[in-house]
Amino acid sequence: MNFTFQSDGLAEISRMLNELGDKAAFVGSHALYEGAGRMADAIFAEINNIQTAPFKYAGPGETRLPSPEEKAVLQQGEAFGITKFEKDGNEINTSVGLNGSGYANVNWNHMNSSARTNYKDVAFKGKENAASSTLKTIRYSGKAEQYGLSSTIGRGAQNQKPISVIANAINSGTSFMQKQPFVRKGVSKGKKTAVAAMVAEAEKLFNAIISQNEAGGKSA
Amino acid sequence: MPSEYETLVAALNLTDIPFAEYGWRTRPEGAYGVVSLDFEADAHNGDGAKIDRAWEGSVDVYFQKLDDRGDMIEAVEEVLSEVLGNSWSMNSTQYETETGLFHIEWVFQCMDEPEADEAEAGGS
Repeated sequence: MNFTFQSDGLAEISRMLNELGDKAAFVGSHALYEGAGRMADAIFAEINNIQTAPFKYAGPGETRLPSPEEKAVLQQGEAFGITKFEKDGNEINTSVGLNGSGYANVNWNHMNSSARTNYKDVAFKGKENAASSTLKTIRYSGKAEQYGLSSTIGRGAQNQKPISVIANAINSGTSFMQKQPFVRKGVSKGKKTAVAAMVAEAEKLFNAIISQNEAGGKSA
Repeated sequence: MPSEYETLVAALNLTDIPFAEYGWRTRPEGAYGVVSLDFEADAHNGDGAKIDRAWEGSVDVYFQKLDDRGDMIEAVEEVLSEVLGNSWSMNSTQYETETGLFHIEWVFQCMDEPEADEAEAGGS
């Protein structure tokens, strides 16, 4: 998912950069840093606005909201961020988002949580009296080591889900999850502040460099 | 509701795929589509009022087999071009491993169509 934007304000920056010559990359990257930060803030605010509901499998023909666990994955400090700046000819590029943000622990199968119904108990004792989550396999019972099974590797690998896949499922929706386009919303909300911040930062540095050059010229 | 959006929904319902707004109560078998308005993308303000507003929305198509696809993608894009001009793009194509569904998403921006007398005034 890539979203690009352009604005008239950026034409002003490119005019200033032409006058600067050697120091254009310095000013450009500082301005981009400001803009990317504002954009990241706007998208992160939308991540905090994602609606959640306790995890429940979507029945046939139904959709569900993301669970609080899934939202928490996106809110982790390391997941969301700005990539390293790349220079491509005269352009400096960066990306804001969750691409290549690694893996996180999300438990979708709920084998080792109390969300599972013990059908054996229900059959014998009735729905009201049945204890939930008493029936567990050895691997999920927390006693795996006693039986010579590795609990950590198997369980860890099962619960590790790519963060970008979760983000994409929330952002564009799936057949079983409601769509909440937080990236597009954040981009359109943060566009104006990001451009304004970039122009302000570029102007500040531009004026500083110009006045420095003039002072240098007088003393020489 | 912007009038372009209403035209778009009506036009999408003329294609072979069934379309619903915002979601299906009971999901149809085979290919189906969902169209929704998501949020206000931009606005022109003047005299303490919103003069022009642009809305962002999305069109989603789900289908199970690549053989069933036929020309539904071309049909949807033709409708988008006809109603909205070039203010749309294909955002993503995905495959859901759990449900075995292909999912294609388009994003568009739409506005209120200018009224007849305004359009004439602009043209003259």
